[in-house]
Amino acid sequence: MKRFALTALILVLAFAVLVPFLWTLSTSFKPLTEVDKSPPEWFSPHMSLKPYSDMFFYLPFSTYTLNSLIVASSSTLVTLCAGSLAAFAFSRFTFAGKRAFLVIFLLSQMLPGASVIIPLFQLLKSVGLYDTHAGLILVHSAVLLPFVIWLLYGFFQGIPREVEDAALIDGCSRMMALRRVILPLALPGIGATALFAFLGSWNEFFFALILTSSDATKTIPVGIGLFIGEYNDIWNQMAASAVLFSIPPLLLFALMRKTFVKGLAAGAVK
Amino acid sequence: MKKSTPYLLLTPALVFTAFILVYPLGQNFINSLREVSMVKGTGGWVGAANYIRVFRDPLFLLSFRNTLVYALAGTLLALCFGLGLALLLNMKLGRITTFASFVFAIPWVLSPVVAGFAWKWVLNDNFGIHNYWLSLAGIVKAGTSWLGDPHTALFCVILARVWQFYPFAMVMFLAGLQAIPLEQYEAAAVDGASMIRKFFHITLPNLRSVASVLLVLGVIWSFNDFNMVFVMTRGGPMNSSMVLPVLVREYSFVYFDMGKGSALSMITFLLLVALSSLYIRILAERDAS
Repeated sequence: MKRFALTALILVLAFAVLVPFLWTLSTSFKPLTEVDKSPPEWFSPHMSLKPYSDMFFYLPFSTYTLNSLIVASSSTLVTLCAGSLAAFAFSRFTFAGKRAFLVIFLLSQMLPGASVIIPLFQLLKSVGLYDTHAGLILVHSAVLLPFVIWLLYGFFQGIPREVEDAALIDGCSRMMALRRVILPLALPGIGATALFAFLGSWNEFFFALILTSSDATKTIPVGIGLFIGEYNDIWNQMAASAVLFSIPPLLLFALMRKTFVKGLAAGAVK
Repeated sequence: MKKSTPYLLLTPALVFTAFILVYPLGQNFINSLREVSMVKGTGGWVGAANYIRVFRDPLFLLSFRNTLVYALAGTLLALCFGLGLALLLNMKLGRITTFASFVFAIPWVLSPVVAGFAWKWVLNDNFGIHNYWLSLAGIVKAGTSWLGDPHTALFCVILARVWQFYPFAMVMFLAGLQAIPLEQYEAAAVDGASMIRKFFHITLPNLRSVASVLLVLGVIWSFNDFNMVFVMTRGGPMNSSMVLPVLVREYSFVYFDMGKGSALSMITFLLLVALSSLYIRILAERDAS
Protein backbone atom coordinates (compact mmCIF):
# COMPACT_ATOMS: atom_id res chain seq x y z
CA MET A 1 0.00 0.00 0.00
CA LYS A 2 2.73 2.40 0.98
CA ARG A 3 4.70 1.35 -2.07
CA PHE A 4 1.72 2.02 -4.29
CA ALA A 5 1.16 5.48 -2.80
CA LEU A 6 4.81 6.39 -3.29
CA THR A 7 4.79 5.18 -6.89
CA ALA A 8 1.69 7.26 -7.56
CA LEU A 9 3.37 10.27 -5.94
CA ILE A 10 6.42 9.83 -8.16
CA LEU A 11 4.27 9.65 -11.29
CA VAL A 12 2.33 12.79 -10.34
CA LEU A 13 5.55 14.66 -9.62
CA ALA A 14 7.11 13.46 -12.86
CA PHE A 15 4.15 14.83 -14.79
CA ALA A 16 4.09 18.09 -12.84
CA VAL A 17 7.78 18.62 -13.47
CA LEU A 18 7.41 18.00 -17.18
CA VAL A 19 4.35 20.23 -17.73
CA PRO A 20 6.23 23.23 -19.16
CA PHE A 21 8.07 21.03 -21.63
CA LEU A 22 5.04 18.90 -22.53
CA TRP A 23 2.96 22.02 -23.09
CA THR A 24 5.65 23.35 -25.43
CA LEU A 25 5.65 19.99 -27.21
CA SER A 26 1.88 20.10 -27.62
CA THR A 27 2.03 23.68 -28.93
CA SER A 28 4.71 22.76 -31.45
CA PHE A 29 2.30 20.52 -33.39
CA LYS A 30 -0.69 22.86 -33.42
CA PRO A 31 -1.73 25.09 -36.29
CA LEU A 32 -1.42 28.79 -35.49
CA THR A 33 -5.21 29.19 -35.28
CA GLU A 34 -5.41 26.77 -32.35
CA VAL A 35 -2.35 27.92 -30.41
CA ASP A 36 -4.26 30.68 -28.65
CA LYS A 37 -7.39 28.71 -27.97
CA SER A 38 -9.05 29.41 -24.67
CA PRO A 39 -9.60 27.19 -22.72
CA PRO A 40 -6.33 25.54 -23.72
CA GLU A 41 -6.36 21.98 -25.04
CA TRP A 42 -3.57 19.41 -24.96
CA PHE A 43 -4.60 17.67 -28.15
CA SER A 44 -6.21 18.82 -31.33
CA PRO A 45 -7.24 16.85 -34.41
CA HIS A 46 -5.32 19.31 -36.57
CA MET A 47 -1.91 18.60 -35.12
CA SER A 48 0.83 18.18 -37.72
CA LEU A 49 4.50 18.67 -38.38
CA LYS A 50 3.80 21.83 -40.34
CA PRO A 51 5.22 24.25 -37.72
CA TYR A 52 8.50 22.35 -37.98
CA SER A 53 8.79 22.82 -41.72
CA ASP A 54 7.47 26.41 -41.53
CA MET A 55 10.14 27.26 -39.03
CA PHE A 56 12.90 26.43 -41.50
CA PHE A 57 11.09 28.41 -44.14
CA TYR A 58 10.33 31.60 -42.21
CA LEU A 59 13.32 31.74 -39.89
CA PRO A 60 16.98 31.09 -40.83
CA PHE A 61 17.07 27.99 -38.65
CA SER A 62 19.16 25.82 -40.95
CA THR A 63 21.96 28.41 -40.77
CA TYR A 64 21.59 28.64 -36.97
CA THR A 65 21.77 24.86 -36.66
CA LEU A 66 24.91 24.70 -38.77
CA ASN A 67 26.47 27.50 -36.68
CA SER A 68 25.60 25.72 -33.44
CA LEU A 69 27.11 22.46 -34.71
CA ILE A 70 30.32 24.16 -35.85
CA VAL A 71 30.77 26.13 -32.64
CA ALA A 72 29.86 23.31 -30.24
CA SER A 73 31.99 20.61 -31.87
CA SER A 74 35.03 22.86 -32.36
CA SER A 75 34.82 24.15 -28.79
CA THR A 76 34.60 20.56 -27.54
CA LEU A 77 37.72 19.60 -29.48
CA VAL A 78 39.76 22.62 -28.38
CA THR A 79 38.77 22.42 -24.73
CA LEU A 80 39.42 18.66 -24.57
CA CYS A 81 42.94 19.08 -25.98
CA ALA A 82 43.91 21.88 -23.60
CA GLY A 83 42.00 20.27 -20.73
CA SER A 84 43.51 16.79 -20.98
CA LEU A 85 47.05 18.20 -20.98
CA ALA A 86 46.32 20.20 -17.83
CA ALA A 87 44.47 17.34 -16.13
CA PHE A 88 47.38 15.02 -16.94
CA ALA A 89 49.80 17.46 -15.32
CA PHE A 90 47.64 17.69 -12.19
CA SER A 91 47.14 13.95 -11.83
CA ARG A 92 50.67 12.73 -12.57
CA PHE A 93 53.15 15.42 -11.48
CA THR A 94 54.00 17.15 -8.27
CA PHE A 95 55.22 20.67 -8.83
CA ALA A 96 55.53 24.02 -7.13
CA GLY A 97 52.28 25.98 -7.22
CA LYS A 98 50.08 22.95 -8.02
CA ARG A 99 47.53 23.83 -5.38
CA ALA A 100 47.43 27.46 -6.43
CA PHE A 101 46.81 26.48 -10.05
CA LEU A 102 44.02 24.13 -8.98
CA VAL A 103 42.39 26.93 -7.02
CA ILE A 104 42.64 29.26 -10.02
CA PHE A 105 40.78 26.76 -12.18
CA LEU A 106 38.26 26.13 -9.42
CA LEU A 107 37.57 29.85 -9.20
CA SER A 108 37.33 30.44 -12.93
CA GLN A 109 34.52 27.89 -12.92
CA MET A 110 32.38 30.60 -11.37
CA LEU A 111 33.21 32.94 -14.21
CA PRO A 112 31.20 36.11 -13.80
CA GLY A 113 30.04 36.50 -17.39
CA ALA A 114 28.83 40.06 -16.90
CA SER A 115 32.19 41.16 -15.48
CA VAL A 116 34.26 39.99 -18.45
CA ILE A 117 31.94 40.57 -21.38
CA ILE A 118 32.77 44.20 -22.17
CA PRO A 119 36.57 43.72 -22.49
CA LEU A 120 36.03 40.47 -24.41
CA PHE A 121 33.71 42.29 -26.77
CA GLN A 122 36.28 45.06 -27.29
CA LEU A 123 39.14 42.58 -27.72
CA LEU A 124 37.33 40.42 -30.29
CA LYS A 125 36.24 43.52 -32.13
CA SER A 126 39.77 44.93 -32.32
CA VAL A 127 41.27 41.69 -33.70
CA GLY A 128 38.44 41.12 -36.14
CA LEU A 129 36.96 38.09 -34.38
CA TYR A 130 33.70 39.71 -33.29
CA ASP A 131 30.74 38.02 -34.98
CA THR A 132 32.85 35.11 -36.27
CA HIS A 133 32.72 31.40 -35.50
CA ALA A 134 36.37 31.44 -34.44
CA GLY A 135 35.77 34.17 -31.85
CA LEU A 136 32.85 32.37 -30.27
CA ILE A 137 34.75 29.04 -30.33
CA LEU A 138 37.64 30.63 -28.44
CA VAL A 139 35.33 32.10 -25.83
CA HIS A 140 33.30 28.92 -25.38
CA SER A 141 36.46 26.80 -25.08
CA ALA A 142 37.79 29.11 -22.40
CA VAL A 143 34.46 29.15 -20.54
CA LEU A 144 34.18 25.36 -20.54
CA LEU A 145 37.81 24.61 -19.75
CA PRO A 146 37.79 24.75 -15.92
CA PHE A 147 34.97 22.24 -15.52
CA VAL A 148 36.48 20.01 -18.22
CA ILE A 149 39.78 20.00 -16.33
CA TRP A 150 37.98 19.01 -13.11
CA LEU A 151 36.09 16.16 -14.73
CA LEU A 152 39.18 14.82 -16.56
CA TYR A 153 41.32 15.19 -13.45
CA GLY A 154 38.90 12.91 -11.61
CA PHE A 155 38.90 10.35 -14.42
CA PHE A 156 42.72 10.38 -14.75
CA GLN A 157 43.09 9.92 -11.01
CA GLY A 158 41.04 6.77 -11.34
CA ILE A 159 43.64 5.13 -13.59
CA PRO A 160 46.18 3.18 -11.54
CA ARG A 161 49.70 4.57 -11.72
CA GLU A 162 51.16 1.06 -12.03
CA VAL A 163 49.84 0.76 -15.58
CA GLU A 164 51.68 3.89 -16.52
CA ASP A 165 54.85 2.92 -14.62
CA ALA A 166 54.93 -0.35 -16.54
CA ALA A 167 54.81 1.61 -19.78
CA LEU A 168 57.65 3.86 -18.58
CA ILE A 169 59.78 0.82 -17.69
CA ASP A 170 59.14 -0.56 -21.15
CA GLY A 171 60.79 2.54 -22.51
CA CYS A 172 57.89 4.86 -23.22
CA SER A 173 58.39 8.57 -22.68
CA ARG A 174 55.91 10.43 -20.49
CA MET A 175 54.10 11.83 -23.48
CA MET A 176 54.01 8.44 -25.15
CA ALA A 177 52.57 6.99 -21.95
CA LEU A 178 49.87 9.66 -22.01
CA ARG A 179 49.01 8.93 -25.62
CA ARG A 180 49.30 5.14 -25.67
CA VAL A 181 48.27 4.12 -22.17
CA ILE A 182 46.35 6.79 -20.27
CA LEU A 183 44.21 8.19 -23.07
CA PRO A 184 42.79 4.80 -24.17
CA LEU A 185 42.03 3.85 -20.56
CA ALA A 186 40.43 7.22 -19.89
CA LEU A 187 38.33 7.06 -23.03
CA PRO A 188 34.93 6.54 -21.32
CA GLY A 189 35.66 9.46 -19.01
CA ILE A 190 36.82 11.59 -21.91
CA GLY A 191 33.63 10.68 -23.74
CA ALA A 192 31.48 11.85 -20.85
CA THR A 193 33.53 15.04 -20.59
CA ALA A 194 33.16 15.66 -24.32
CA LEU A 195 29.42 15.27 -23.93
CA PHE A 196 29.41 17.83 -21.15
CA ALA A 197 31.50 20.28 -23.17
CA PHE A 198 29.34 19.88 -26.25
CA LEU A 199 26.15 20.50 -24.29
CA GLY A 200 27.70 23.45 -22.49
CA SER A 201 28.51 25.17 -25.77
CA TRP A 202 25.29 24.03 -27.48
CA ASN A 203 23.13 25.54 -24.73
CA GLU A 204 25.24 28.65 -24.03
CA PHE A 205 23.34 31.89 -24.50
CA PHE A 206 24.96 34.92 -22.88
CA PHE A 207 28.31 35.08 -24.74
CA ALA A 208 26.75 33.92 -27.99
CA LEU A 209 24.14 36.67 -27.73
CA ILE A 210 26.61 39.49 -27.22
CA LEU A 211 29.50 38.29 -29.40
CA THR A 212 27.50 37.64 -32.57
CA SER A 213 25.30 39.93 -34.61
CA SER A 214 24.64 38.47 -38.07
CA ASP A 215 22.55 35.48 -39.02
CA ALA A 216 25.67 33.87 -40.50
CA THR A 217 27.13 33.37 -37.00
CA LYS A 218 24.19 33.33 -34.56
CA THR A 219 23.63 30.04 -32.78
CA ILE A 220 20.22 28.49 -32.12
CA PRO A 221 19.79 29.75 -28.52
CA VAL A 222 20.42 33.30 -29.72
CA GLY A 223 17.86 32.82 -32.46
CA ILE A 224 15.25 31.50 -30.04
CA GLY A 225 16.12 33.99 -27.30
CA LEU A 226 15.76 36.97 -29.61
CA PHE A 227 12.57 35.77 -31.25
CA ILE A 228 10.88 35.41 -27.89
CA GLY A 229 9.24 38.73 -27.30
CA GLU A 230 9.67 39.97 -30.84
CA TYR A 231 7.61 37.39 -32.68
CA ASN A 232 4.83 36.80 -30.22
CA ASP A 233 2.54 35.72 -33.00
CA ILE A 234 4.27 32.52 -34.08
CA TRP A 235 4.27 30.58 -30.82
CA ASN A 236 3.90 27.22 -32.57
CA GLN A 237 7.06 27.72 -34.63
CA MET A 238 8.92 28.99 -31.57
CA ALA A 239 7.83 25.90 -29.68
CA ALA A 240 8.89 23.70 -32.59
CA SER A 241 12.35 25.26 -32.64
CA ALA A 242 12.66 24.85 -28.86
CA VAL A 243 11.71 21.17 -29.11
CA LEU A 244 14.01 20.45 -32.05
CA PHE A 245 16.87 22.23 -30.31
CA SER A 246 16.35 20.14 -27.16
CA ILE A 247 16.61 16.78 -28.89
CA PRO A 248 20.44 16.49 -28.94
CA PRO A 249 20.80 17.32 -25.21
CA LEU A 250 18.02 14.89 -24.27
CA LEU A 251 19.44 12.08 -26.42
CA LEU A 252 23.00 12.55 -25.18
CA PHE A 253 21.81 12.72 -21.59
CA ALA A 254 19.76 9.55 -21.96
CA LEU A 255 22.80 7.73 -23.34
CA MET A 256 25.45 9.01 -20.94
CA ARG A 257 23.48 9.65 -17.77
CA LYS A 258 25.18 7.02 -15.60
CA THR A 259 28.76 8.05 -16.39
CA PHE A 260 27.96 11.71 -16.03
CA VAL A 261 26.13 11.42 -12.72
CA LYS A 262 28.88 9.20 -11.34
CA GLY A 263 31.55 11.76 -12.26
CA LEU A 264 29.58 14.56 -10.60
CA ALA A 265 28.74 12.55 -7.52
CA ALA A 266 32.36 11.50 -6.98
CA GLY A 267 33.28 15.14 -6.56
CA ALA A 268 30.31 15.81 -4.31
CA VAL A 269 30.73 13.30 -1.49
CA LYS A 270 34.48 12.83 -1.36
CA MET B 1 61.58 14.05 -16.74
CA LYS B 2 62.24 17.76 -16.89
CA LYS B 3 61.05 20.09 -14.21
CA SER B 4 59.33 22.29 -16.73
CA THR B 5 57.09 19.52 -18.15
CA PRO B 6 54.01 20.10 -15.93
CA TYR B 7 54.16 23.83 -16.61
CA LEU B 8 54.35 23.19 -20.34
CA LEU B 9 51.31 20.96 -20.07
CA LEU B 10 49.45 23.68 -18.19
CA THR B 11 50.35 26.43 -20.65
CA PRO B 12 47.40 26.11 -23.07
CA ALA B 13 44.91 26.06 -20.20
CA LEU B 14 46.58 29.04 -18.57
CA VAL B 15 46.53 31.01 -21.82
CA PHE B 16 42.79 30.42 -22.04
CA THR B 17 42.30 31.47 -18.42
CA ALA B 18 44.26 34.64 -19.04
CA PHE B 19 42.10 35.31 -22.09
CA ILE B 20 38.75 34.77 -20.39
CA LEU B 21 39.49 35.98 -16.88
CA VAL B 22 42.73 37.80 -16.15
CA TYR B 23 42.83 40.17 -19.12
CA PRO B 24 39.09 41.03 -19.10
CA LEU B 25 39.04 41.70 -15.36
CA GLY B 26 42.10 43.93 -15.61
CA GLN B 27 40.77 45.76 -18.63
CA ASN B 28 37.38 46.04 -16.98
CA PHE B 29 38.92 47.80 -14.01
CA ILE B 30 40.68 50.27 -16.34
CA ASN B 31 37.44 50.84 -18.29
CA SER B 32 35.55 51.53 -15.10
CA LEU B 33 37.80 54.52 -14.41
CA ARG B 34 37.43 56.03 -17.86
CA GLU B 35 34.75 57.39 -20.06
CA VAL B 36 34.06 54.59 -22.54
CA SER B 37 31.19 54.95 -24.94
CA MET B 38 30.46 52.82 -27.94
CA VAL B 39 29.25 55.92 -29.72
CA LYS B 40 31.95 58.40 -28.78
CA GLY B 41 34.87 56.02 -28.26
CA THR B 42 37.23 55.90 -25.30
CA GLY B 43 37.60 59.22 -23.52
CA GLY B 44 39.69 60.43 -20.60
CA TRP B 45 40.09 59.26 -17.03
CA VAL B 46 37.16 60.12 -14.81
CA GLY B 47 38.23 58.61 -11.48
CA ALA B 48 35.36 57.21 -9.48
CA ALA B 49 32.70 59.08 -11.45
CA ASN B 50 31.35 55.92 -13.12
CA TYR B 51 30.99 54.24 -9.74
CA ILE B 52 29.23 57.25 -8.30
CA ARG B 53 26.82 57.27 -11.22
CA VAL B 54 26.05 53.59 -10.58
CA PHE B 55 25.45 54.11 -6.87
CA ARG B 56 23.20 57.10 -7.56
CA ASP B 57 21.07 55.09 -9.96
CA PRO B 58 17.99 53.81 -8.10
CA LEU B 59 17.93 50.96 -10.59
CA PHE B 60 21.19 49.65 -9.13
CA LEU B 61 19.76 49.20 -5.64
CA LEU B 62 16.61 47.62 -7.03
CA SER B 63 18.63 45.19 -9.18
CA PHE B 64 20.93 44.37 -6.30
CA ARG B 65 17.96 43.53 -4.09
CA ASN B 66 16.35 41.49 -6.88
CA THR B 67 19.59 39.60 -7.54
CA LEU B 68 19.87 38.69 -3.87
CA VAL B 69 16.26 37.53 -3.71
CA TYR B 70 16.64 35.63 -6.97
CA ALA B 71 19.84 33.91 -5.86
CA LEU B 72 18.81 33.10 -2.29
CA ALA B 73 15.16 32.17 -2.78
CA GLY B 74 15.87 30.30 -6.01
CA THR B 75 18.67 28.26 -4.49
CA LEU B 76 16.91 27.48 -1.22
CA LEU B 77 13.71 26.36 -2.94
CA ALA B 78 15.70 24.24 -5.39
CA LEU B 79 17.60 22.63 -2.53
CA CYS B 80 14.43 21.77 -0.63
CA PHE B 81 12.72 20.33 -3.69
CA GLY B 82 15.90 18.48 -4.75
CA LEU B 83 16.28 16.98 -1.28
CA GLY B 84 12.66 15.83 -1.25
CA LEU B 85 13.03 14.10 -4.59
CA ALA B 86 16.36 12.56 -3.59
CA LEU B 87 14.73 11.08 -0.47
CA LEU B 88 11.95 9.70 -2.65
CA LEU B 89 14.39 8.16 -5.12
CA ASN B 90 16.48 6.71 -2.31
CA MET B 91 13.57 4.54 -1.15
CA LYS B 92 14.48 2.06 -3.91
CA LEU B 93 11.06 1.37 -5.34
CA GLY B 94 12.45 -0.66 -8.24
CA ARG B 95 11.95 0.20 -11.92
CA ILE B 96 10.01 3.38 -11.29
CA THR B 97 13.11 4.85 -9.61
CA THR B 98 15.23 4.52 -12.76
CA PHE B 99 12.47 6.10 -14.80
CA ALA B 100 11.91 8.89 -12.31
CA SER B 101 15.58 9.74 -11.87
CA PHE B 102 15.73 10.32 -15.63
CA VAL B 103 12.50 12.33 -15.89
CA PHE B 104 13.25 14.46 -12.82
CA ALA B 105 16.61 15.41 -14.36
CA ILE B 106 15.22 16.54 -17.72
CA PRO B 107 14.83 20.27 -16.88
CA TRP B 108 18.53 20.34 -16.07
CA VAL B 109 19.75 19.38 -19.57
CA LEU B 110 17.49 21.78 -21.42
CA SER B 111 18.98 25.08 -22.50
CA PRO B 112 18.01 28.00 -20.24
CA VAL B 113 16.56 29.60 -23.33
CA VAL B 114 14.22 26.65 -23.84
CA ALA B 115 13.38 26.59 -20.13
CA GLY B 116 12.60 30.31 -20.17
CA PHE B 117 10.48 29.93 -23.27
CA ALA B 118 8.56 26.95 -21.89
CA TRP B 119 7.76 28.77 -18.64
CA LYS B 120 6.82 31.95 -20.38
CA TRP B 121 4.40 29.98 -22.52
CA VAL B 122 2.95 27.98 -19.64
CA LEU B 123 2.40 31.18 -17.64
CA ASN B 124 0.91 33.11 -20.56
CA ASP B 125 -2.06 35.16 -19.34
CA ASN B 126 -4.57 34.08 -21.97
CA PHE B 127 -3.53 30.73 -23.35
CA GLY B 128 -1.25 29.34 -20.62
CA ILE B 129 -2.12 26.04 -19.03
CA HIS B 130 -1.24 27.12 -15.47
CA ASN B 131 -3.63 30.01 -15.51
CA TYR B 132 -6.33 27.76 -16.84
CA TRP B 133 -5.84 25.21 -14.07
CA LEU B 134 -5.58 27.83 -11.37
CA SER B 135 -8.74 29.53 -12.58
CA LEU B 136 -10.54 26.18 -12.70
CA ALA B 137 -9.52 25.67 -9.08
CA GLY B 138 -10.88 29.14 -8.39
CA ILE B 139 -7.54 30.46 -7.11
CA VAL B 140 -7.14 33.24 -9.65
CA LYS B 141 -9.33 34.74 -12.28
CA ALA B 142 -8.67 33.84 -15.88
CA GLY B 143 -6.31 36.15 -17.73
CA THR B 144 -4.08 36.91 -14.75
CA SER B 145 -0.82 38.20 -16.21
CA TRP B 146 1.90 36.70 -14.02
CA LEU B 147 4.82 37.98 -16.05
CA GLY B 148 3.20 41.32 -16.81
CA ASP B 149 2.59 42.21 -13.17
CA PRO B 150 5.51 43.91 -11.37
CA HIS B 151 4.52 42.12 -8.15
CA THR B 152 4.80 38.60 -9.55
CA ALA B 153 7.30 38.80 -12.44
CA LEU B 154 10.39 38.11 -10.34
CA PHE B 155 8.63 35.25 -8.59
CA CYS B 156 7.90 33.62 -11.98
CA VAL B 157 11.53 33.87 -13.02
CA ILE B 158 12.57 32.33 -9.69
CA LEU B 159 10.17 29.45 -10.33
CA ALA B 160 11.79 28.75 -13.70
CA ARG B 161 15.23 28.98 -12.11
CA VAL B 162 14.24 26.47 -9.42
CA TRP B 163 13.00 24.19 -12.18
CA GLN B 164 16.42 24.23 -13.83
CA PHE B 165 18.54 23.96 -10.70
CA TYR B 166 16.75 21.40 -8.50
CA PRO B 167 17.92 18.36 -10.56
CA PHE B 168 21.55 19.19 -9.81
CA ALA B 169 20.74 19.36 -6.10
CA MET B 170 18.76 16.13 -6.38
CA VAL B 171 21.66 14.24 -7.96
CA MET B 172 24.13 15.54 -5.39
CA PHE B 173 21.82 14.82 -2.44
CA LEU B 174 21.12 11.33 -3.76
CA ALA B 175 24.86 10.61 -3.93
CA GLY B 176 25.17 11.98 -0.40
CA LEU B 177 22.32 9.80 0.86
CA GLN B 178 23.84 6.69 -0.66
CA ALA B 179 27.15 7.41 1.03
CA ILE B 180 25.66 7.36 4.55
CA PRO B 181 26.88 4.19 6.31
CA LEU B 182 23.97 1.82 6.92
CA GLU B 183 25.33 0.90 10.36
CA GLN B 184 24.25 4.30 11.64
CA TYR B 185 20.64 3.53 10.78
CA GLU B 186 20.90 -0.01 12.15
CA ALA B 187 22.25 1.27 15.45
CA ALA B 188 19.41 3.78 15.64
CA ALA B 189 16.89 1.05 14.86
CA VAL B 190 18.27 -1.01 17.75
CA ASP B 191 17.73 2.01 19.99
CA GLY B 192 14.15 2.18 18.74
CA ALA B 193 14.46 5.58 17.03
CA SER B 194 11.50 6.78 14.95
CA MET B 195 11.70 7.66 11.23
CA ILE B 196 11.62 11.36 12.06
CA ARG B 197 14.34 11.06 14.67
CA LYS B 198 16.51 9.13 12.21
CA PHE B 199 15.99 11.82 9.60
CA PHE B 200 17.00 14.68 11.88
CA HIS B 201 19.79 12.90 13.75
CA ILE B 202 21.40 10.82 11.01
CA THR B 203 20.30 11.85 7.51
CA LEU B 204 20.45 15.65 7.80
CA PRO B 205 23.81 15.88 9.65
CA ASN B 206 25.37 13.55 7.06
CA LEU B 207 24.15 15.78 4.24
CA ARG B 208 25.53 18.94 5.76
CA SER B 209 28.66 19.19 3.64
CA VAL B 210 26.83 18.45 0.38
CA ALA B 211 24.16 20.99 1.30
CA SER B 212 26.64 23.75 2.09
CA VAL B 213 28.53 23.21 -1.18
CA LEU B 214 25.25 23.25 -3.09
CA LEU B 215 24.05 26.36 -1.32
CA VAL B 216 27.14 28.39 -2.07
CA LEU B 217 27.52 27.11 -5.65
CA GLY B 218 23.83 27.69 -6.30
CA VAL B 219 23.94 31.23 -4.96
CA ILE B 220 27.06 32.03 -6.99
CA TRP B 221 25.62 30.59 -10.19
CA SER B 222 22.28 32.33 -9.74
CA PHE B 223 24.04 35.56 -8.87
CA ASN B 224 25.81 35.30 -12.25
CA ASP B 225 22.76 34.18 -14.14
CA PHE B 226 21.71 36.38 -17.00
CA ASN B 227 19.67 33.94 -19.09
CA MET B 228 16.44 33.34 -17.23
CA VAL B 229 15.58 36.97 -16.56
CA PHE B 230 16.62 38.08 -20.03
CA VAL B 231 14.59 35.42 -21.80
CA MET B 232 11.47 35.70 -19.65
CA THR B 233 11.12 39.40 -18.81
CA ARG B 234 14.20 41.35 -19.99
CA GLY B 235 14.10 42.80 -16.48
CA GLY B 236 10.58 44.18 -16.80
CA PRO B 237 7.83 45.09 -16.35
CA MET B 238 9.02 48.50 -15.16
CA ASN B 239 12.37 46.96 -14.15
CA SER B 240 10.61 44.98 -11.42
CA SER B 241 12.65 41.86 -12.20
CA MET B 242 15.92 43.55 -13.21
CA VAL B 243 19.05 41.74 -11.99
CA LEU B 244 22.69 42.87 -12.07
CA PRO B 245 23.97 40.85 -15.08
CA VAL B 246 21.05 42.05 -17.22
CA LEU B 247 21.63 45.61 -16.03
CA VAL B 248 25.30 45.40 -17.08
CA ARG B 249 24.16 44.53 -20.60
CA GLU B 250 21.57 47.30 -20.48
CA TYR B 251 24.12 49.97 -19.52
CA SER B 252 26.77 48.75 -21.97
CA PHE B 253 24.97 47.46 -25.03
CA VAL B 254 21.62 49.26 -24.93
CA TYR B 255 22.69 52.71 -23.70
CA PHE B 256 26.27 52.18 -25.00
CA ASP B 257 27.67 53.58 -21.75
CA MET B 258 30.48 51.08 -21.25
CA GLY B 259 32.18 53.08 -18.52
CA LYS B 260 29.11 52.82 -16.31
CA GLY B 261 28.65 49.19 -17.38
CA SER B 262 32.24 48.40 -16.41
CA ALA B 263 31.84 50.04 -13.01
CA LEU B 264 28.72 48.00 -12.35
CA SER B 265 30.42 44.79 -13.45
CA MET B 266 33.37 45.54 -11.12
CA ILE B 267 30.92 45.92 -8.24
CA THR B 268 29.22 42.66 -9.22
CA PHE B 269 32.59 40.97 -9.38
CA LEU B 270 33.60 42.14 -5.90
CA LEU B 271 30.34 40.81 -4.48
CA LEU B 272 31.13 37.48 -6.15
CA VAL B 273 34.64 37.38 -4.74
CA ALA B 274 33.12 37.63 -1.28
CA LEU B 275 30.81 34.72 -2.06
CA SER B 276 33.64 32.66 -3.57
CA SER B 277 35.89 33.07 -0.56
CA LEU B 278 33.04 31.65 1.48
CA TYR B 279 32.96 28.70 -0.89
CA ILE B 280 36.69 28.08 -0.57
CA ARG B 281 36.43 28.23 3.21
CA ILE B 282 33.66 25.64 3.18
CA LEU B 283 35.70 23.37 0.89
CA ALA B 284 38.75 23.73 3.13
CA GLU B 285 36.67 22.87 6.20
CA ARG B 286 35.31 19.82 4.43
CA ASP B 287 38.79 18.64 3.44
CA ALA B 288 40.01 19.13 6.99
CA SER B 289 37.26 17.03 8.54
